[in-house]
Amino acid sequence: MLESKELTKVFGSVRAVDHVSVRLEPGHVYALLGPNGSGKTTWMKMAAGLIKPTSGQMLYNDAPVGIESRREVAYMSTEPYFYTWMIIKDVGRYYDDFFEDFSMERYQSLLARMELREDMKTKTLSSGMMAKLKIAVTMARDAKVYMLDEPFNGIDLLARDEIRACILQFAAYNKILLLSSHLVEEMEAVADRALFIKQGQLVESVDLETMRMTMGVSMADRYRQIYGHTEVQNNA
Amino acid sequence: MLKLMKYEFRKTQATKLMILAITAIAEVAFLIGLYGKHDTTAALSIAALVFLATFGILIVGLESIVTLHRDMNTKQSYMLFMTPNSSYKILGSKVLECSLSILIAGAFFFALGTLDITLAFAKEVGLKSLWETIQDVLRNISINGRPLEINARALASFTFTLLTSWILTLTTAYLSIVISAALLNGKRFNGFVSFIFFLLLNWGCTKVLRLATSHVPTSTSVSIPLLVSCCVALVLSVIMYIITAQIMERKLSV
Repeated sequence: MLESKELTKVFGSVRAVDHVSVRLEPGHVYALLGPNGSGKTTWMKMAAGLIKPTSGQMLYNDAPVGIESRREVAYMSTEPYFYTWMIIKDVGRYYDDFFEDFSMERYQSLLARMELREDMKTKTLSSGMMAKLKIAVTMARDAKVYMLDEPFNGIDLLARDEIRACILQFAAYNKILLLSSHLVEEMEAVADRALFIKQGQLVESVDLETMRMTMGVSMADRYRQIYGHTEVQNNA
Repeated sequence: MLKLMKYEFRKTQATKLMILAITAIAEVAFLIGLYGKHDTTAALSIAALVFLATFGILIVGLESIVTLHRDMNTKQSYMLFMTPNSSYKILGSKVLECSLSILIAGAFFFALGTLDITLAFAKEVGLKSLWETIQDVLRNISINGRPLEINARALASFTFTLLTSWILTLTTAYLSIVISAALLNGKRFNGFVSFIFFLLLNWGCTKVLRLATSHVPTSTSVSIPLLVSCCVALVLSVIMYIITAQIMERKLSV
């Protein structure tokens, strides 16, 4: 179980995450939604232990995130982060060296599926190829929690279908899968729960099926209801 | 820890290989100059080898500092801080890898220098004459009125002094970079601020070292002040290391 309690992160005068309390449970695929700068990435990085909170707590199985949680939490950043001297094979070896749950066999099979060769240099990959590589190496871990930040960014429709299929293949009843994206329609087909973040604050945490039944709206409709006013204001 | 050290080596491998390749070319040129009677080639290659021996070791040390700066201030930091390793391990692997690299580079250039001097004297004046020349030189060098003794102990203490002083410089630089990264978090002038912190910390360390060695009587033995200086440098390095790892653990966001 991944949980944040009154989690806050302040960068200078900007409150990127503002007292967010939320609890993510195994067996669900969560969509983390919100416009640019709403705090999705900062929240995820705090869950991955890369950013230290200003106040509040980020807990994994009731303990603060840290070395132990990193063994079980697989995080995929939206930015490329591999060492520039690496070829794709080195990336797999690196993960294999540091993560006990990493499967080289699964990695190679995902690479083949994504049409990536092991001898390709990471620094020469296109953004689409880089996105596929990040997915392949992250999903090759048999982690308890997967957090994928903007996994569909900068890639074409067919590759997006492939990535969606890969993600869902390894989502299981005992795992937490958290995806952030602007592409709300893409997320609708994948997620069963949604977290709406606005200006660093958690606006709503909903079960999508219940929302459809009780409110009669889709995730995309709800997104428009929550953020529409802000976007009109910004455009004006 | 070994795995982390392996990747620290990989990060700096290209520079090390380049230094090695240039040294190999200079060495071949020296041998051609020596045995082919090309005096200009020999002289130029000797100058190149002396330059490489001096700056090669310096570059190995400096690159480790540059690598930490990159690890703190670019997205590549995720590669380190996503892994289930403590800051102590991450930092320790950097210090150990760099110290070992400096030690190996120093030993390599020392061995190469000894070999080249031996070859040159053997070729020109014979080994017996080489030994006599070395003894003459040593007789003329004295410290505090005592003739300099070159033996295994003196050599070991010299190496240990250089290494501990390098480790202190390294850990001071690491602390400066981490303080700056924790405070400025990738903002502009981060590198400049690190340098200012380094100068301040280095000034403090020099003061402590001077204070510690000022009470040691210099007339007793050359190695005693050196030993005190080494021990103080090591203690300061450990303090720097602990403070750096604590800042990384508690305050650093990448």
